[in-house]
Amino acid sequence: MRDSLEAMLRIIRRVAGMPDYAAQLEHLRHCHPGEPVPTEREFYESYLRNRYGDAPTRCC
Amino acid sequence: MLSRLAWALVALAGAMAWGVLALHRGETINAAWLVLAAVGTYLVAFRFYSRFLATRVLGANDRRATPAERLSNGRDFVPTPRWVLFGHHFAAIAGAGPLVGPVLAAQFGYLPSTIWVVFGVVLAGAVQDYVILFASMRRDGKSLGQMAKEETGPFAGLLAMVSVLAIMVILLAVLALVVVNALKDSPWGVFTILCTLPIAVLMGFWMKVWRPGRTLEASAGGVVLLLLALVGGRHVAESPALAPYFTWSGLTIAYAMIAYGFVASVLPVWMLLCPRDYLSTFMKIGTILLLALGILVAMPALQMPAVTRFVDGTGPIFAGKLFPFAFITVACGAISGFHALVASGTTPKMLVRESDARLIGYGGMIMESFVAVMAICAAALLDPGVYFAINAPLTTLGGTAQSAAEVIRGWGFTVTPATMTSLAAEVGEKTLLGRAGGAPSLAVGMAHILSGAFGRGLMALWYHFAIMFEALFILTTVDTGTRVGRFMLQELSGHLWRPLGRTSWYPSTLLASGVVVAAWGYFLVQGVLDPLGGINSLWPLFGISNQLLAAVALSVGTTIIIRSGRARYAWVTAVPLLWILATTLTAGWQKIFAADPRLGFLAHRALEAQQIADGTLEAARGARLMFNDSLDATITAVFMIATVLVVLASAREWVLLLTRRKPAADNESPFVETAYAG
Repeated sequence: MRDSLEAMLRIIRRVAGMPDYAAQLEHLRHCHPGEPVPTEREFYESYLRNRYGDAPTRCC
Repeated sequence: MLSRLAWALVALAGAMAWGVLALHRGETINAAWLVLAAVGTYLVAFRFYSRFLATRVLGANDRRATPAERLSNGRDFVPTPRWVLFGHHFAAIAGAGPLVGPVLAAQFGYLPSTIWVVFGVVLAGAVQDYVILFASMRRDGKSLGQMAKEETGPFAGLLAMVSVLAIMVILLAVLALVVVNALKDSPWGVFTILCTLPIAVLMGFWMKVWRPGRTLEASAGGVVLLLLALVGGRHVAESPALAPYFTWSGLTIAYAMIAYGFVASVLPVWMLLCPRDYLSTFMKIGTILLLALGILVAMPALQMPAVTRFVDGTGPIFAGKLFPFAFITVACGAISGFHALVASGTTPKMLVRESDARLIGYGGMIMESFVAVMAICAAALLDPGVYFAINAPLTTLGGTAQSAAEVIRGWGFTVTPATMTSLAAEVGEKTLLGRAGGAPSLAVGMAHILSGAFGRGLMALWYHFAIMFEALFILTTVDTGTRVGRFMLQELSGHLWRPLGRTSWYPSTLLASGVVVAAWGYFLVQGVLDPLGGINSLWPLFGISNQLLAAVALSVGTTIIIRSGRARYAWVTAVPLLWILATTLTAGWQKIFAADPRLGFLAHRALEAQQIADGTLEAARGARLMFNDSLDATITAVFMIATVLVVLASAREWVLLLTRRKPAADNESPFVETAYAG
């Protein structure tokens, strides 16, 4: 039950283009073990820089 | 065998529905036929044509690792399940264009726009989105501008970039004008939209300061507050003490939006832009689903004739004949150059498998086309008299319901002054006359559908819900667009003087934001002051620029297909390219040179000069109107020349490749075998 709720929230985040901290942690654990892990706040800030950088993300 | 039979049935059902639409000669026709014809065509096109594109033309290969797999970083390169990515991509391409364009084009009747929206998408629009998405995926998610530069040379790349910036300016101005016409003298609407600002700031602080990264919590709270603001708007509008504070003229709203665009571009994104982006995404997806459900439940009858007399070019909403102007006005609902920017943006970095691009690129655009079909239904279910009373310019209608009724009777439609007055009262507005721009008539249509499906008596609430939804996501385009325009301008001006290119240098940020806002703000104010209502001249300009960007994208697509050694299939992008060039260059030419002053900018300018000489137009005002006509003509010419140059540069490349004077080597990233299990 809890798992399926989590899965649904993850889908909603992806569709809306929202940051997914849990996915980032998984990625770091999987691909860069031993490296420092950003806090949720740091991750959100890097997400914002990345998303609203320079390319259009929205349309007419 | 069984599946072949099923597909034959789908094709037959679609063809029958088209037959009914084409041969129907009654007073009204049920919207179900329109939906059935569209869906039948989509299914057949997706199953057969997009598969042909995937296997023969593009050569999708699931053994090949995608950028999301190879460059995975948990942030932008994220492998994403295809239905989730479909939602993400659709939310990014869907905007006001497919809703507003078909509503305006309903001036020609419902049939021409329906045909173009459905067949234009399956043969051109969806092909463009898919080919560009696929090409970008094969090139580590490169943008359209970068691909144009690589495939056709640096000159074409620079031209593409300058065109994108210029198109952005026109796009923002015309969308802002749609909002102005929807909100002027409407305290309910103005109050609700103003409320979105403090709500967004509150969400911003929640996500950044109080509970970092908790975007879903903040958005859920934001949506609830927004709906409360919508309900609260009614009390404001009905209160004699409060209503005057929120009753704004068109010009006031225009200046407020210009100020807002500037502030949103220079403020940190977390405070305003990002929360509004989330809010508008949720409202957009929710409303589109609600509308689809409403149409299915209510199955309204369409009152608009299949084809109106205005195909001859005398239409009150915009001038020009069916060819080419139906194809310009429908805009993003059929093919949109802007989608090529999104398809070469975030989406290609998230594909898990190459074969997923078919559902997301081609399928996503089919979904957009379906939104346009729903907009056609919403416009066509209105009584044509009511539709023209809402959308024709006030100068044509005269100021009163009485005069409007007489003018519209002259066009062969009936509407009584009492109908217009009671409709306005029913939706909680003082008047609905002369609100060109598509948003109010769409909102009336949506309110009909939604109140028909989910309970009568809530007409006013549904109407303002629809207005709020349109204004909200148009404003989101305005703020993100201004910011993107600012970045592009900074990049371009960085070539002139290096410090100007530094996006973190505050003076440069203020300067570039100011220039971008001033540019679209000028066109916006011009539109508000325009005696014909502005939509009349600006919407075709937007349609032309957006289609010309599509021509650039299709040229790049054709080059890529030829370069990959599949020149025999180059027609899949080359034929749509020729059609787009034919319609758009014809429209551009007519907008500049047509002898009818309602249509041609130069003829209109000459008319104004004549009026100044006769003394019927005040000289200072006349000079400004004349300058605007010259400006519009120049911009149109610049768009046309830039596009023709890009297409010619591409054509030169095609000839070199086809005559083997240049080796057919592609610019794709090298093949890497996927590590995912089949």
